[in-house]
Amino acid sequence: MSIFRKWVLAIGLFVAIVVDGVCSFYLHQFMDYGSFGAASLILPISVMLIGLFDDTNENEIWLALGTGIVADIYFYGFIGVYAVFLPLSCWICQKIARFLPEIFWARLIVVLLGTTIFVAYSWLIFNMIGIATTSIHGLLMSLLVNQGWTAGFFVCLYWIWGNLAQDYPFLIDLNAYRV
Amino acid sequence: MKKFLQNKKLLSTFIVIIVIFAVLGGSVSLRNKRNAPLLVQSLGNDIVALGSRIIDVPVGFISGGLNNAHEILNAQDENNHLKRQITNLGQTKVRNASLEKENRQLKAALNLKDTLSGYILINASVISRAPDTWSDLLTINKGSSSGIKKNMAVMCGGGVIGRIVEANAASSKVELITTTDESANRFSVQADVANGKTVHGIITVTANNQLAFTQVVDGRKLKAGTRVYTSGMGGNSPKGLLIGTVTQTTRDSFGLSDQIRIKPAGDISDPSVVTVIERQVAN
Repeated sequence: MSIFRKWVLAIGLFVAIVVDGVCSFYLHQFMDYGSFGAASLILPISVMLIGLFDDTNENEIWLALGTGIVADIYFYGFIGVYAVFLPLSCWICQKIARFLPEIFWARLIVVLLGTTIFVAYSWLIFNMIGIATTSIHGLLMSLLVNQGWTAGFFVCLYWIWGNLAQDYPFLIDLNAYRV
Repeated sequence: MKKFLQNKKLLSTFIVIIVIFAVLGGSVSLRNKRNAPLLVQSLGNDIVALGSRIIDVPVGFISGGLNNAHEILNAQDENNHLKRQITNLGQTKVRNASLEKENRQLKAALNLKDTLSGYILINASVISRAPDTWSDLLTINKGSSSGIKKNMAVMCGGGVIGRIVEANAASSKVELITTTDESANRFSVQADVANGKTVHGIITVTANNQLAFTQVVDGRKLKAGTRVYTSGMGGNSPKGLLIGTVTQTTRDSFGLSDQIRIKPAGDISDPSVVTVIERQVAN
């Protein structure tokens, strides 16, 4: 059971990849406003929340890298979107968490900023390699739509990842420290 | 230069950026060039696809329930519309059967085995979609073990919605026809003009994400409502798959060629069950 406890966070992130894809499929028609749309950002929000809740465990940066590679290969077939953003955001969130007030609103602001950077970064990569060609106007409108959906996803995920990251840190068995 | 090399943080950042670009470029090149993904990639994709299938069951059940409720509310209108359609259906069926028989006899007389219009259907369910709004990639629950190969056409709701870009063992990725991917293979299409002639071209996507029939000679002869379908000339799709209908004919921004807007026939916004088209004639 101790091995299972160490890997709970990894299993949770695997489920987050799956749920991200399924939600994107079912919610896609509701996330579009005219020719602009929001992305399903469950995975980036989850990794940022892990970084914000558990700022001491460096293993989670490697976990974010692994999750990013799997997500990139599954969703796009190439590596460079999630595999770069997830470990970087986890590392930055862990650094920020050391001086950030441990309250809901402060974390929400960080996540809103993070998802904005993620959407802009993925737009840059897609345009650079020619996977998608979208104007800056399209990007800016999508960013606005994304803010609303990010806040919604954040509310749904906050307590889930808060509990998981604090009770089951990656590759650490907290029971070993309890008497 | 010496200072740069001595600054370990700066040097490490520089190396990481180079590695990121190398991995990105390498993996994009592999994606575009290879006909089948690497074994590790295929295995990873199939494991996540299996998870998606499991999660898809309860989510699909809830979504299906909501759709059913919506359909019940629209049942009366739909019933009236179908009643109007059904009067012509019997005659069309008889005519189709007669034409199919005649077609078989003519092929036999000419000793033709495979033609551009021959194909086999493979049905599949959509299990997930790429989370971003721009890449237009779907994942379906059938792969190379069911006979699916890269570049096969995919249909839903009576029209073509995209093509296979990656075929794993038990799952595949579909790129929608509305994608702005510059490396995507474009459908070679044709349409019949009123005077009996046929015009050829390819399907592209305009800046505002609408389908367009481009590289057409005499495109202005096409009237609104004309059906556009695959020509089978591209080497990947069979002939006769409906792409959509012409809505508007204009000149491009340089005034040099015709740009014909097309309303897609396929259900691009909500494709839950799709049909992959395996072309029968050898490429």
